[in-house]
Amino acid sequence: MSAVVSPIRDPLIYGHKSYHDITEDLVSPTERTPSAPWVIGFILSISLLGFGLFCIAWTIWHGIGTWNLNRTVGWGWDITNFVWWIGIGHAGTLISAILLLFRQKWRTGVNRAAEAMTIFAVICAALFPGIHVGRAWVVFYFFPYPNTRGPLWPNFNSPLLWDLFAISTYFTVSLLFWYTGLVPDFATVRDRAKGMRKKVYNFLSFGWVGSAKHWQRWEALSLVLAGIATPLVLSVHTIVSFDFATSVIPGWHTTIFPPYFVAGAIFSGFAMVLTLMLVVRKVLHLEEYITLNHVESMNKVILATGSIVGVAYLTELFVAWYSGYVYEQFAFFNRALGPYWWSYFGMMFCNVISPQFFWSRKIRRSVAWTFFLSIVINIGMWFERFVIIATTLARDYIPSSWSYYSPTWVEIGIFIGTIGLFFTLFLIFCRVAPVVAVAEVKSILKSSGDQYCGPDAIHHGHGHDDHGHDHSHEEHAVAESVKEEVAAVVEAVEDDLKKLEGIGPKVEAALKKAGVKTFAALAGSDTNDLQTILDEGDGNFMGNSPESWPHQARLAMEGKWDELEKLQDELQGGKY
Amino acid sequence: MNQFTFTGRLKTSLIIMMVVGLVSMGLTWIWDDEIHTRFWSNYLHNASFFTGISLMAGFFIAVCITAWAGWYAVFKRVWESFSMFLIVGLVLMAIMGLGVYFGWHHIYHWADPVAAVEDKIISGKTGFLNKNWYLFGTIVIVGTWYFLSSRIRSLSIAEDNDDNDTDFAKHRRMRLYAAIFLPIAGFTSAAMVWQWIMSVDSHWYSTLFAWYCGASWFVSMICLTIMSLLYLRAKGYLQQVSVEHMHDLGKFLFAFSIFWTYLWFSQYMLIWYGNVGEETIYYRTRFDHFKPLFYANLVINFLFPFFVLMRNDTKRKFGSLGLVAGVVFIGHWLDYFLMIKPGVMHTAHEHLSHGHDAGGHHDMSFQLGVQMPGFLEIGTMIGFLGLFLFVFFSALSKASLVAKNDPYIHESLHHHV
Repeated sequence: MSAVVSPIRDPLIYGHKSYHDITEDLVSPTERTPSAPWVIGFILSISLLGFGLFCIAWTIWHGIGTWNLNRTVGWGWDITNFVWWIGIGHAGTLISAILLLFRQKWRTGVNRAAEAMTIFAVICAALFPGIHVGRAWVVFYFFPYPNTRGPLWPNFNSPLLWDLFAISTYFTVSLLFWYTGLVPDFATVRDRAKGMRKKVYNFLSFGWVGSAKHWQRWEALSLVLAGIATPLVLSVHTIVSFDFATSVIPGWHTTIFPPYFVAGAIFSGFAMVLTLMLVVRKVLHLEEYITLNHVESMNKVILATGSIVGVAYLTELFVAWYSGYVYEQFAFFNRALGPYWWSYFGMMFCNVISPQFFWSRKIRRSVAWTFFLSIVINIGMWFERFVIIATTLARDYIPSSWSYYSPTWVEIGIFIGTIGLFFTLFLIFCRVAPVVAVAEVKSILKSSGDQYCGPDAIHHGHGHDDHGHDHSHEEHAVAESVKEEVAAVVEAVEDDLKKLEGIGPKVEAALKKAGVKTFAALAGSDTNDLQTILDEGDGNFMGNSPESWPHQARLAMEGKWDELEKLQDELQGGKY
Repeated sequence: MNQFTFTGRLKTSLIIMMVVGLVSMGLTWIWDDEIHTRFWSNYLHNASFFTGISLMAGFFIAVCITAWAGWYAVFKRVWESFSMFLIVGLVLMAIMGLGVYFGWHHIYHWADPVAAVEDKIISGKTGFLNKNWYLFGTIVIVGTWYFLSSRIRSLSIAEDNDDNDTDFAKHRRMRLYAAIFLPIAGFTSAAMVWQWIMSVDSHWYSTLFAWYCGASWFVSMICLTIMSLLYLRAKGYLQQVSVEHMHDLGKFLFAFSIFWTYLWFSQYMLIWYGNVGEETIYYRTRFDHFKPLFYANLVINFLFPFFVLMRNDTKRKFGSLGLVAGVVFIGHWLDYFLMIKPGVMHTAHEHLSHGHDAGGHHDMSFQLGVQMPGFLEIGTMIGFLGLFLFVFFSALSKASLVAKNDPYIHESLHHHV
């Protein structure tokens, strides 16, 4: 992470937070008794979940005939919901992995919740392949197993099986990634807790003590997981797209499906992150951590991915015409002007037109607009999957088998149930873990806190008003501002004064007792004052002379360790 | 050394490269068949390849500006200068378009007026595959790319000369142009790829194709950036570009080589699995008659960078990074060769045998310049590369090397991976 921050960047943490404030603000929601909105939300979610479970039980008891699937439309709301949820899961890994690799600091405000959302969304998604087989007790047919079906394991060549592997891998890595991030934060919660709670969090944090070794391993692991997760983000939705595109169904068999599904998934995932986080930041008062700058960045990602999806829609449409393949042409004609025209226009409007509002900075930074549009996009992405699945299947090659499909209450109920499940899990998560990554937010405080950058900065940023390209001049400017910064946070920081020649542990203790705790403070001290401190301190400091200490301290403060070493070679016991 | 001097020596070397190119093209023309298939296909191959690289440079600056990236600021003049080749690309591709217009060449099956009427599939595409769309579409679209790139560049240079722009007004204006550029490039690059490249196989189509070509251009652009920076550093320029910047470029090369492979695989897998004859013919031809290149494409552009750049230190050593950049650059040039030649040859064979039936049998015995690039192809490539570098270096010499007033310049100078 670069220590130098451009003056054009806006802060990502407002309110002049200290490290302690951050801990307090982010951990306390897990320590308070649940608020009324939380309780109401939880009861509502769990009721929806209960209804969903009832519908699932109904399906399994009475059979898949309780759904309106028919001989033509074999996939309906079930697979639509499956793809929708998987897609929503994508933003978590994108934020945590890809944005980590790109060193995007704003990810720290939302990555924790986004990763949690990924895991919950994948759980919701995984439900559907399980129940849409109808006979849930033989769901293990999904897995290739070497017995009754002979030595060939024939379903290995089915994308549906690849999907199973892809999603379970994705789920595992996402879970590891999320948990890795949680370990130091659980330790923070533990350190503030008492009794049983302390024991539980101690167990959850694997005895984390925050030593340098722990952090080093933690960072290495985060990077490794980010490296693994990045191709996984692409692979999961790619393979979901293979479920369709490997077939020869017009409208499904198109080569752009893999990257376009991935872009669409990120698009919908970010929309869901916004939907959740805009509520969370309001309810938990996290406006200073999930700022409008975060919202704007996410809206930009939505605009970009929404437009990529738009390019893909138009490419499909164009190439259907260009191909000269009449079935392909019909598939698109049918989508746009057939009996399901409303879902196609819903999709086009919600996914391609609505994100274009985000060209306006005002709308990008408006919470109300963003919340509204994020829901519109969630709906649009559901329509997209419905268009691809039901609309395309309903009118296939043979007009005599054309059909129409609309869901029964059971199918709708299961979908509502997954929404209940999602929010139930999310609400529990908000109670047991810091919803914003405490340690990661702290890691950007010195570069992106509003006391360090932006218009309200007290401590001027590095190289703020210097634009000389002369390197040494510029180094100097940086050193100047480092000096200011160090001086400004002088109360908060202590330096190891023993690094200076002539200062041992006892002298250091005496100096610190007298308030000289940092290189900066020492550098600004008068040698006579220092002598007074020594004279009045506990102990015999006859042999110590402070004459060179301010000079040494200045070099140490500016990070000029080489020069300091040179000077120390010349000094004799700290004396010139 | 903040000002690049385009020395006479360098100019001479580049002019020699261009002469090599001209001689190669001349010889190609002379030794060619009667419709100069090899000459024109080589021309299209290189013109589209280098135009695309300059588009990607301009596009990527726009991406970086929009994404508030800081690390690249120290060497952004290199990308700006790459993008200035777009005006030359415009002329090169317009010549191709004039060729369609006036029937100078028979690269495109659809440009044959008889085929446009009699061939059922082609006649369905004439609304898009026609001489007007090709020529004027190219001029307008590439012209727009150039306009937006040059606006960003001139603002960037103006920013350099204005030390009192404390509010970064110029950078904020650049953001506007960058934001406009992104969707325009997104939509129009696909249209151009379909016109220029996909339509050499006039019957065939693939929705992914435009993005595949774009990824190939992008990787080539990163390779050329790495090589240019290494050259400039070796000549004593841009010493501020540190191993950290090169490491990041190496990461881009690594990541986008994988991304290119991902697109290659997605397209191949779906066509193979679907097994529809109209689609598989594309790979069938390449697999049957271009087998060495078919495999070389994957080895050079995927396996090689993947295994070499996987380690951290190979991205931080200029020797290994430069080597990969050079090899992969050639790899993507070969990729374009493989995209263009088979379709062009098919069209030429049909034309020369005066048969317009798609199933017509024709001789596909091994021929240098068709199944494999020969010396003339290499010479032509050297010529185009010389031209590209000439434009690049002269643009580079017109402004200071480090954009000192870029708002992110300090972040970039202190960049750490």
